[in-house]
Amino acid sequence: MISLKGVNARAGAFSLTDITFDVPRGAYGVVIGPAGAGKTTLLETISGVVRATSGRIELGGDDLTHAPPEARRIGIVYQHAYLFPHLTVGQNVAYGAADGAMASDVSARFGVDVLGDRAVESLSGGERQLVAIARALARRPEVLLLDEPFSALDPRTRNVARRVLRTIYFERRFTVLQVTHDFAEAGLLGDVAIVLDRGRVVQRGDPEEVFRKPASPYIADFLGAENVFAGVARPIRAEGPDWVAGDAQELIQHAVAFTTGALAFYALGDVVPGPTHAVIRAEEVSLSAEPSMSSLQNQFRGTIQEIVPAGALARVTVDASGTPIVAAVTARSVRELKLQVGGEVVVGFKATAVHLC
Amino acid sequence: MAAPGISVLESTPPPAPRRASAVTRAIATVAVAVVSSLFLLFIVAPVAGLVVAGGGRGLSSLSADSELRDSLLLTAVTATIATLIGVVGATPIAYVLARRSFRGRAVLSAVMDLPLVIPHPVAGIALLLVLGRGSPVGGALYAAGLRVASSPVGIVCAMLFVSAPLYVSAARETFARVDARYEWVARTLGDDAWRAFRRVTLPLSARGLVAAGVVMWARAVSEFGAIVILTYNPKVASVLSYDRFTSFGLSEALPVAAVLVLFALIPLAALRALRGGTA
Repeated sequence: MISLKGVNARAGAFSLTDITFDVPRGAYGVVIGPAGAGKTTLLETISGVVRATSGRIELGGDDLTHAPPEARRIGIVYQHAYLFPHLTVGQNVAYGAADGAMASDVSARFGVDVLGDRAVESLSGGERQLVAIARALARRPEVLLLDEPFSALDPRTRNVARRVLRTIYFERRFTVLQVTHDFAEAGLLGDVAIVLDRGRVVQRGDPEEVFRKPASPYIADFLGAENVFAGVARPIRAEGPDWVAGDAQELIQHAVAFTTGALAFYALGDVVPGPTHAVIRAEEVSLSAEPSMSSLQNQFRGTIQEIVPAGALARVTVDASGTPIVAAVTARSVRELKLQVGGEVVVGFKATAVHLC
Repeated sequence: MAAPGISVLESTPPPAPRRASAVTRAIATVAVAVVSSLFLLFIVAPVAGLVVAGGGRGLSSLSADSELRDSLLLTAVTATIATLIGVVGATPIAYVLARRSFRGRAVLSAVMDLPLVIPHPVAGIALLLVLGRGSPVGGALYAAGLRVASSPVGIVCAMLFVSAPLYVSAARETFARVDARYEWVARTLGDDAWRAFRRVTLPLSARGLVAAGVVMWARAVSEFGAIVILTYNPKVASVLSYDRFTSFGLSEALPVAAVLVLFALIPLAALRALRGGTA
């Protein structure tokens, strides 16, 4: 278990401020954030490399806020591996290993056992990262901290490494906290997502929840949401306490009309009435030649501005009453609907697909 | 009139070749080469002249001149002891200066550099003031049977004082070049601070620390100003060459001075070998 409560830390000119989150024992946490958000500093604070100036850090239920790194029962894998250059690959993996069998086992699983006598300088970036992961795991840590450990791997090796790590993780059930700026990776791996920005936790929760319901337009943008609209929310059916126009403090949950420019659409959820933002994942937006009789509450006719193919999918931007809406559709749909720039199409999405933040 | 489809460029003639600047560049290159050569000659000529004039005689007199032999041995031994003390005492300081950020770090750094800017005879006077027989410390040491002034101990003290800052500076730079994260990784792998230093930082810094030690040793061997104040006798090689010069003139000082130059080539060669290995 990793538990941080109100942790403040300083590394050079950079500060972590009031960091609070929990990753339950045996869970896989992911830290997401843009470059310079403090992700590496956060891992170094948990590992004891950077000293926490206040707050409380618990690992495995013990208060280890002021404990030295060697007493924290952790393993850390940096993006740049930091293999000891004066030792061979085998010596690196065995450096802090719980025992020789453990070092051999993880080396074999990550396929670095064949590199045993090689000098570290002769390894590729990807091989270094695999050796670094094996070295950290050979110690049998209770908490594993990973700083973008797969960034130097080619796609195939990355998938293999992820699978091996997941297998060992499920076998041993240690707690993991992995830094990534790849949200697909976060969603793939994580039980808990922590979004960090400028040294602060700006959102935490289930990765799917964070992905679908970002806490702010900034997070939505960072997480790759293409449809982020500034506008005004107005309740249209009171199911909660009566809402008085202009009372922005009153939080109510009900159907909402959201207006952005000349476009108005329905949404559902908790919202402070007034100016706000609407986020719609491109994957939630559908296209059709004619309005459908489905459960889509929001359907608009628009003109196709752009079609960007990306493998089996395509990003189609539709101008609906002056508002560009991006839909992610299959390449097959593009062909079947005969979509082309300048053509007309009906863009639709459910009210539940609209997240107001 | 230009044919259709052909660009007309007459209105924008290409810039004239900058001959003047090329000539200026050539003159500047030659001037720099001449100045650099003169500077190199300024360094090499006296040393080479000294070795040519006195090297053969100095080497051949080594077997007969016991005073020269003893002074070289004394120089080597005292410089080695001073270097060993410096390495033991100054390595932690260099490490702390390279790794830690603390109040007073700049002051500590300045203190370590102080002997570099003090004229060496002044350093000798300062040491005499603190370690001479008339001082409380020197008196106490003398009472305990340890005579500092006019003894090999004084030579070691003078060498240590003037050459240790060079070691600290080089060792500090060496430690700073080793990324601290190697140590932190070792700590997360179970090492305490000392073990991480011994198993990771020290091996990664070893070559640089040895080079720093060689620099310190070489500086100690060549020291004169502080030693001559603190311990004229027994004579180290630099003091002996000065003594022969003032007592017997240039011709008698030449062999000693030339042998001392050849002696100084040993650490220089060691340093080149170490740096070559690094490269």
